[in-house]
Amino acid sequence: MGKTKGSKRSLVLQRRETVVSYLFLLPALFFFVGFVITPMVMGILTSFTDASLANGNQGTFIGLGNYARLFKDPVFWKSAWNTVVIVVVAVPTVTAFSLWVGSAIYKMRSGARSFFRCVFYLPVVTGSVAVVVVWKWMFDKYDGLFNYIINAFGGKGLAWTGDAKLALWCIILILFTTSIGQPIVLYVAALGNVDQSLVEAAQVDGATKLQVFWKIKWPQIMPTTLYVAVITTINSFQCFALIQLLTSGGPNYSTSTIMYYLYEIAFRTTKEFGYADAMGVILAIVIALFSALQFKVMNGGTTE
Amino acid sequence: MKKKRILALLLAASMSLSLAACGGGDKPSDTPAGGTETPGGSTAAQTEITWWAFPTFGVDSGYEQEVANAFMAANPDVKVNIETIDFTAGPDKLTAAISAGTAPDVLFDAPGRIIEYGNAGYLVSLDDMMEALKGDLANENLVETCVGADGTAYMYPISSSPFYMGLNKEALEKADALQYVNLEGDRAWTTENFVKMCEALSAAGATTVPGIVYCGGQGGDQGTRALVNNLFSSSIVGEDGKWNIDANGVKALEQLKAMYDSGALDAGFDMAAADELQKFQQETAAMTFCWGTSNAKSYASEDFTQISVPFPSDDGKPELEYLVNGFCVFNNKDDAKIDAAKRLVAFICDDAEWGPKSVKQSGAFPVRTSFGNLYEGDKEMSLLASWIGYYGPYYNTRAGFATMRTEWWNMLQRVFQEGDVQAQVDIFNTNANA
Repeated sequence: MGKTKGSKRSLVLQRRETVVSYLFLLPALFFFVGFVITPMVMGILTSFTDASLANGNQGTFIGLGNYARLFKDPVFWKSAWNTVVIVVVAVPTVTAFSLWVGSAIYKMRSGARSFFRCVFYLPVVTGSVAVVVVWKWMFDKYDGLFNYIINAFGGKGLAWTGDAKLALWCIILILFTTSIGQPIVLYVAALGNVDQSLVEAAQVDGATKLQVFWKIKWPQIMPTTLYVAVITTINSFQCFALIQLLTSGGPNYSTSTIMYYLYEIAFRTTKEFGYADAMGVILAIVIALFSALQFKVMNGGTTE
Repeated sequence: MKKKRILALLLAASMSLSLAACGGGDKPSDTPAGGTETPGGSTAAQTEITWWAFPTFGVDSGYEQEVANAFMAANPDVKVNIETIDFTAGPDKLTAAISAGTAPDVLFDAPGRIIEYGNAGYLVSLDDMMEALKGDLANENLVETCVGADGTAYMYPISSSPFYMGLNKEALEKADALQYVNLEGDRAWTTENFVKMCEALSAAGATTVPGIVYCGGQGGDQGTRALVNNLFSSSIVGEDGKWNIDANGVKALEQLKAMYDSGALDAGFDMAAADELQKFQQETAAMTFCWGTSNAKSYASEDFTQISVPFPSDDGKPELEYLVNGFCVFNNKDDAKIDAAKRLVAFICDDAEWGPKSVKQSGAFPVRTSFGNLYEGDKEMSLLASWIGYYGPYYNTRAGFATMRTEWWNMLQRVFQEGDVQAQVDIFNTNANA
């Protein structure tokens, strides 16, 4: 009898705690629904309409019209290609470089480790406008640092962001420098948490450095690698500010990405919100697919 | 424990309530009745309006507040809230606000955007105000800058200013190129002399490059269009009203391409007007294609003498692009606000004291003849004011202007990088009208 009364009381307590927890979640939930879920749903719905500034944002339903138009739009395809190039180049290089730097510094003394973490993290905390202004000066065709160095060695300066063949690589370089900070900090933490007893046991058994890394450390830092890969993929897909501030998608759309083209359509040229939203939906689907693929490939590689 | 839980619940409830309060807005009905003062300083009897201002009266000049205070003193039934926006983020902010139904009541801008908003049905007609102004306009072409596709006036103009070229006098002297520039009379000059001047500058290496045809974005693109249109007297609008670069336009582009290939000019594929103006100020380039009264202030330099000249043309008669500053009133479905907004606009533009003051503050010239010459005694400004006679046809309010602009700078990039001018022009003519 006493036991039943006790369990009933604990059930009531549990329920109360649940209610309190939900109340605490309420403000965050309010923001999440108001500023993430609602715009997302509105975006998806608008993508099936011809809403634009010209028709007072009162679009009529046109089914898959915007999506069909996307597939015939050569600028969209060029932007999609540029987006894929950025992702395919940036994600592996950022991940590999961060892992390499993380491996090199995680065993250092705490002062040196903090110094390197600060150095690599600095571009992350610096405002993107400030970063781009500095890079813009370095890439400047007339008075830029890079051309100054090339000229000093007797070479002929390059147009950098003004050259359709180089501009995208300039964007990738800046994206790279602003993306490695967080992964390095994460890798330093992850490598520091690797079970040392396993490492020592493997070394005692005669494992080489490569074997220790590949068989012992790699599986243990896999969750971090997965996180880094997914976050870098999403950031690369959504690369926008750099492009807007540095090249405006040019020359001749050579640095235009889906994200930038979407902005151009929604805010600069025709202001067709429905068409821009269709691009946003496609981008979201592609990001989701890439992330799912990464989860599948990388989770398949764990020892679990 | 119980106390803690009660405290936690109260905290959560207050947070939720504060969030709800955030969405409350500031509808007039929220203000206390009976003329009680609200914290913002307004009274219930007052009509509160919001004015979004681009920095046409100068960046952080405080003039907007000054003129608004004078207006509120004369119209105690109106309270004006001012929000300044910049030319970089402002247009996007406006698009977002309009589409979300939170547009301001008054906007100080230029015809390009205003007429676009008017044609889309977001603005109120200012026909009554324009009708009264028509007889006083300095140039009858100014009317077409203020009206939408159906002839309704959506913009009430206050001042205008031509766009022209700026030259570095010392660099030209160094290259012995000043001989090609006309500094007498109205300073009109020819395409032939422009080409010779650029070639002399290039040969002498007076600056890193003679000039830069910027084509990395739409900022200040009217300068490059004026250059192309003037060189061989072409127009960007065909007789049928469609966007069209004609044979003379192709000839001008071929001329510029030839100059680019020979080094007599450079192309800025990643540069908009602001970047080019900076290069002019830093003496990297000896000329700018985006000079004007406002830019002459912003990019002034004490290191060299800046000369203002109209764009060169084959017949020596320039057709200048020009800026018109003006106001529009958004239709926020509140007659009291619309009336207050129109009164504010009329006060800023027409008041005997504040009208001329506002024109001078914009660094431009009055569109009203009754204001006379506001720059008496200033030879340079008087000369620039006289160029109002060279104003060309105004096309910024035509349908598809925004699309044409994007096609314009992309077309320039292709002309310089890929050649075959006619093919690139054909692409432009097709896409700009799509």
